[in-house]
Amino acid sequence: MVLEGAPARGNPGYRAVRSLYIHVPFCFHKCHYCDFYSFVDTQDRQEPFVRRLIRELQALSPWAAGEPLRTVFVGGGTPSLLRQPLWTVLLDALHSHFDLSLIRAGAGEFTVECNPETVTPELLQALRQGGVDRVSLGAQSFQPGHLKTLERWHDPASVARSVELVRAAGFPRWSLDLIYAIPGQTLQEWLLDLETALSLSPSHLSCYNLTFEPNTPMTRRLQRGEFRATPDDVAGEMFQVTGERLRRAGLHRYEVSNYATPGQESRHNLAYWRGEEWLAAGPSASAHVRGHRWKNIPRLGDYLSFDDDGFAPIQDHEIPDARRALAEDLMCGIRLAEGVEAAPALARAAALDPRAPSRLLSEFRAYEAVGDLRFDSGRWMLTDAGFLRADAVAADLIGALEAQPDEDAPVGQDAEER
Amino acid sequence: MSDQQPHIRNFSIIAHIDHGKSTLADRLLQATNAVSAREAKEQILDSMDIERERGITIKASAVTVYHHHTPGENADELESEAAAASGDTEAAGSGGEDVRTHGSELYMLNFIDTPGHVDFNYEVSRALKACEGAILVVDATQGVEAQTVVNAYLAISQDLEIIPVLNKIDLPSARPDEVAEEIEQVLGIDPYSCIRVSAKTGIGIPELLAAICEKLPAPRQPVVPQTRALIFDATYDDYRGVIVYIRVFDGRLRLGDKIRMMGLQRTYSITELGKYTPKPVKVKELGPGETGYLVAAIRNLADVRVGDTITLETDPAAEQLEGYQPPRQMVFCDFYPATSEKKGNDFEQLREAIEKLSLNDASFTFQPVHSEALGFGFRCGFLGLLHMDIIQERLEREGGVEIVQTAPTVSYKVDVRTKGGEVEETEVHNPADLPDPSHIVDVKEPICRVEIMLPKHFIGDVMKLCLDRRGQYKAQMFVSEAREMITFEIPLAEIIYDFYDKLKGMTSGYATMDYEVTGYRTDRLVKVDILINAEPVPALSFIAHRDRAEQRGRQLLVRLREEIPRHQFEIPLQAAIGGKIIARETIKGFRKDVTAKCYGGDVSRKRKLLEKQREGKKRMKSVGSVEIPQEAFMAVLDTGE
Ligand SMILES: Nc1nc2c(ncn2[C@@H]2O[C@H](COP(=O)(O)OP(=O)(O)O)[C@@H](O)[C@H]2O)c(=O)[nH]1
Ligand code: SF4
Ligand SMILES: [Mg+2]
Repeated sequence: MVLEGAPARGNPGYRAVRSLYIHVPFCFHKCHYCDFYSFVDTQDRQEPFVRRLIRELQALSPWAAGEPLRTVFVGGGTPSLLRQPLWTVLLDALHSHFDLSLIRAGAGEFTVECNPETVTPELLQALRQGGVDRVSLGAQSFQPGHLKTLERWHDPASVARSVELVRAAGFPRWSLDLIYAIPGQTLQEWLLDLETALSLSPSHLSCYNLTFEPNTPMTRRLQRGEFRATPDDVAGEMFQVTGERLRRAGLHRYEVSNYATPGQESRHNLAYWRGEEWLAAGPSASAHVRGHRWKNIPRLGDYLSFDDDGFAPIQDHEIPDARRALAEDLMCGIRLAEGVEAAPALARAAALDPRAPSRLLSEFRAYEAVGDLRFDSGRWMLTDAGFLRADAVAADLIGALEAQPDEDAPVGQDAEER
Repeated sequence: MSDQQPHIRNFSIIAHIDHGKSTLADRLLQATNAVSAREAKEQILDSMDIERERGITIKASAVTVYHHHTPGENADELESEAAAASGDTEAAGSGGEDVRTHGSELYMLNFIDTPGHVDFNYEVSRALKACEGAILVVDATQGVEAQTVVNAYLAISQDLEIIPVLNKIDLPSARPDEVAEEIEQVLGIDPYSCIRVSAKTGIGIPELLAAICEKLPAPRQPVVPQTRALIFDATYDDYRGVIVYIRVFDGRLRLGDKIRMMGLQRTYSITELGKYTPKPVKVKELGPGETGYLVAAIRNLADVRVGDTITLETDPAAEQLEGYQPPRQMVFCDFYPATSEKKGNDFEQLREAIEKLSLNDASFTFQPVHSEALGFGFRCGFLGLLHMDIIQERLEREGGVEIVQTAPTVSYKVDVRTKGGEVEETEVHNPADLPDPSHIVDVKEPICRVEIMLPKHFIGDVMKLCLDRRGQYKAQMFVSEAREMITFEIPLAEIIYDFYDKLKGMTSGYATMDYEVTGYRTDRLVKVDILINAEPVPALSFIAHRDRAEQRGRQLLVRLREEIPRHQFEIPLQAAIGGKIIARETIKGFRKDVTAKCYGGDVSRKRKLLEKQREGKKRMKSVGSVEIPQEAFMAVLDTGE
């Protein structure tokens, strides 16, 4: 991806991009619910991948304009599947192309997603030395039966073990991913999973309602009638009890599916939701730079074979657009507990269409009336109940930006019945 | 060609769908050298895209070809050959060569390719009116099917000479002897008169041509001195306007003639006269017995009525030819533009598409309607269900509009007591229009005569299906060792909803059916209203037999319960007849609408999903405080069970 005028120091109005996402597409088994770009790499392309990735990082580095990065997130796939020597090479390259001083000083965040089954003391050591200060572990469930339903391959006991290793390796922060509303899972079983997670004293948890994404084995199994989806009201109750239970444990919901003790929120993910800018490397990674959005083509073959001065082949490029930007900020912002600042949103809406602010306000009021939104300290935010309708709220707020079709009724004048 | 006037033969080809009518038409064109083999696109006479794709013939086309034949030469021989089922084409010509080239006479063969499907029976009958004979094609592997019977009856009732043809004898599975017997059993046609052909390989085509020349009668002699020509079809052409297909019975039509349509009382001047061979070929005149087309600067298909008689303005005939019944719309439904993004434009686009299509097909009706739920649209009337599907498809394909279609209904005749006390009959084809029950004296519905041809061992199941659909048993007929034909009278309303699918399903596809609307009959029919959150929703009401109203009401409510998203409050659903509740369901309160993941940094994807969700929501209609998606309105469609 080449944008006009990569920023350089001294270029007036330049703004350095301060976040970076890296996608590692390898997994040792494909989970049935997963629709991330990831696959089992039978040809062992780890090495060419890392070499290619480093070229892309080099190509992207001018966007950071020498400013220190605030957040780095390596996701996947299963980044912990990369062999430790390759990790060392990758981290070295990252240091040579970007300024990680802020992160090293503990004022940023550098997360790597790990599979509990594949973390080893050696790997953790290498990561820690390379500046990684946060590990996100995919636990999903602690019950073998439910992991089996998800076709997720790991021993639940490995979660506690890997948390121990992470602590021992000196990582100041770590997080667990959990999934609920797994077919067949009861409310009690989910609460038990939460207790197990809490017994490890996490400062951050992501609890995702299982979604049936198109073209996943999970969805096909559902369609074949292998199991029934958890009813909406049960899933809703699971969501509610999650919020209550975690709040008692000191973790507050700061985004629809994310919980943290104060100050332990994922800064990288907050950057996404707050509409900040980030660079993206690796197949399928999405970037947001100066109002542009694009996505690297999610095909490792293309990624390896196409090399435009290091840049990756991309798709879905969207150029800056004020309406789209506001829509995205509303959509992402409203998912956060902190919500959306009303005044700037209204001002931006007014710039699009003088009637848009009043439409936005009336949407807000409608949701306020039913108790889904509230207004607090100049911000619109979801109530506890409203979180369950975050999509409906977001869709309607976005919709308020569009001109409504006036009821200019087309009446048939000359098409009488024949 | 000789200077002598050619002998004229006018005939149609009739058959059950897929028995090879179009293929046979191709083969005849080729055999008469009207088209070269290279030119012979498959199924020349079927010209529309949809026809090609669905393999059905929609518009009847008339084609004229010339053929040399030596009269009386070997008709007997041909018959015995056919009986021997040899398919030996050489034999037909053996020893005849000399005679043919010397003593042969010229025949003008006018043939009309007719649609095979039940919905288009009216087109079959209009085509038959222009003919003296019909070729009845029966697939020798399938045997006599329901449409074979209905079409053959039509031809017999119009006194046409029938040439039975057993097609596809090239196939190893062909059983021409048995099928010839079936033809005798069901239609009383001499099995030895059947000609065995393969429209694919050309076997038997010379014999068939000989039979057409020998057995089909010549057109009748003129009975009045004035010109009279029958309009049997009309199509629309962007450049020339309406093209009228005609069959001249008396007198002549010449280029430049001032003509009068006797029924509609309109006059025009003939600017072009011609025949399709199948390429259009202009001619100066058309004489008695001939078929062809005329162009006369007619701009609208509605200005031409099929069945009308054309005469000359200067010397008009006193009486019209015997015309046909105008096509009757039997099935009705609403079309609405599917995307409501730009409501006004979409409606305009739909209107344009419908008006344009109506230039091509004058047999569907349309009238603007407004629905609370779906906005502005059109209520359309069709000849049958297939006709409805075809129109919808053509609108979407040719007009580029996406259509939401409501449940089809039939046209009821309702006797209503007026204020003055007299009884008046009105037609109702929208359940919502049914008058207040207290004013209704009687509701009559269209009744069909249904012929079903089926393997014997399915008879029990199929009888039950027919009886379940309020059918009245009429007859049962032996067809062959394995098959029977049963005849029922069944209300059209029961047929338009999934009868055909059910029949096909329970007989593994082996049964075939055809129907004809034969009249109207009174039954205990009631309007069932649907109430959502205590508010009646007219778009959801339907008409049902009293004995089935509860069951259908409940089925619909169950569907609605699935389609209407949950709200934050409980929503009662009710079905009612004139205020009396006959079924109820409840949608529980609370609705969850949030996706767990924001797809990492893929904000665009999330945004697009939300936009799609919004589109869906925009299509919801608020009744009181309940939002009802379009799918719910469609649910009335599939409550058959
Ligand atoms: N083998 C064989 N196939 C045939 C013959 N005549 C028609 N068909 C095939 O039967 C199918 C239906 O033919 P078509 O002419 O479209 O039937 P229509 O629906 O009666 O017009 C097509 O796939 C033809 O190719 C024949 O004599 N022999
Ligand atoms: S480990 Fe994660 S990325 Fe890999 S298949 Fe499972 S869910 Fe998908
Ligand atoms: Mg055909």
